[in-house]
Amino acid sequence: MEPWAVVGICGLATALATGLGAIPFVFVRNVSARAVAVSNALAAGLMLGASFGLVAEGTAHGRWQTLVGAVVGLAFILGVERALEGRNLEIGLVRSADSRRMALMVIVMTAHSFSEGVAVGVSFGGGITLATVITLAIAVHNVPEGLAISAVLRPRGVSLWKCAGWSVFSSLPQPLMAVPAFLFVELFRPTLPYGIGFAAGAMVFMVLAELLPEAYETERKSTVALLVSLTLVGMVLFQRALG
Amino acid sequence: MDPAFAVLLLSAIAAAASTVGVLPLVRRPHVPLVAIGWAHALAGGAMLGAAFVLMTATPNRSPDVAALGALLGVAFVRLTHMASGTEDLDLDRLDETSGMYGYRVLLVNALHSAFEGVAIGAAVMVDLPFGVFVALAMGVHNVPEATALSAVLRAHGVRLRHAAGLAFVSNVPQILMAVATVALIRTEPSLLPWALGFAFGAMVYLVLAEHLPESYRKAGYTTIALVTIVAMGIVVLMGGGRGG
Repeated sequence: MEPWAVVGICGLATALATGLGAIPFVFVRNVSARAVAVSNALAAGLMLGASFGLVAEGTAHGRWQTLVGAVVGLAFILGVERALEGRNLEIGLVRSADSRRMALMVIVMTAHSFSEGVAVGVSFGGGITLATVITLAIAVHNVPEGLAISAVLRPRGVSLWKCAGWSVFSSLPQPLMAVPAFLFVELFRPTLPYGIGFAAGAMVFMVLAELLPEAYETERKSTVALLVSLTLVGMVLFQRALG
Repeated sequence: MDPAFAVLLLSAIAAAASTVGVLPLVRRPHVPLVAIGWAHALAGGAMLGAAFVLMTATPNRSPDVAALGALLGVAFVRLTHMASGTEDLDLDRLDETSGMYGYRVLLVNALHSAFEGVAIGAAVMVDLPFGVFVALAMGVHNVPEATALSAVLRAHGVRLRHAAGLAFVSNVPQILMAVATVALIRTEPSLLPWALGFAFGAMVYLVLAEHLPESYRKAGYTTIALVTIVAMGIVVLMGGGRGG
């Protein structure tokens, strides 16, 4: 098989792994404000931790490029927020503020996967000898992302299969970007810090402007603080163990 | 410079910076709530940035020790809050004028600054320029924090110079803990990753338990998110990229 096809298949496999993040929500059935708040806090910790890891990596490549990427990421999500605001999004029986937040979550996580796809392609770096190791590492890394998406969708009444489906969908840019990034490594490598900054900027904004305020509205602030800090520490450790 | 002397000087400067936070109240005795919200967002953003920078300073070979330290930090802040019955205290209630309330707000601020002291002490033991940077970040963080505190104190009828004094005094634990942390790591250098992790976990918890919830209640979510991100971004940009 052609090396680029192997990269594409590996990318697809890692995208599928994102769907595994829905599994812990098998037992979550009750659609309550508290379940939403707790899950928001969980997702916030995962995404903040992921962003900390991303920024540490991005600033190692170039801090100003990361900054530019982060500013573009912020502008992007602000634009998407504006665009969604005017529309009356109704997904099933879900009230429209909820569906807007769910749509935003899927859009943010999908957008951030583009830069991850580039990172995958570049890390294969013109050789596929380490394919299994890299694929496994990224597949494992994707699971918490599916967890974060499912945490936002599931307590709002989305079925388990759809949670898994949207999680996989959010990672589809990975195989799409990994193949060209693998074929034209030298062309794509310099874009890495920009992409990393973009992903971190969009995710941190999503956490601070959408997930956390809603969590504080219903849950005690000390509970939110505990959940977010524990997941954040766990995520940072998880990433360090993988990297 | 001797680290013990350096940390005393640096943490004292950072604590003293809090008195600057009273200045916005000289002209306007009644600060609008929105401004208090922004002050909390600024303070929270700077603190999250400092926590990130401490995280990158932990040596790569000891991530699990640092993570255990971080869990300890989270647990410690939570326990001190719970033991003093302040875990869900609203920090900026301008309508609540009882003496007990004022005392509890000052207590929360004093506890808060003690954990910042661990951050400054651990940073000084990484190396001096890093210690200067973290102390600077904490000093800048102390300014909006003191603005929020003194706005509450002023609303309760505390005089301006006493508000400035209380803002400083509530930051004295920062100096004590910074010196104690340096002394501890000097006798037992293997504690450094523990201390860095501890400060990281404690600071993340404090931002989430104090600054962010207070700020969301007073201003729009989008504005608060942007103010927090800008403050965090500046600290990360100036101190980031130190691979351990």
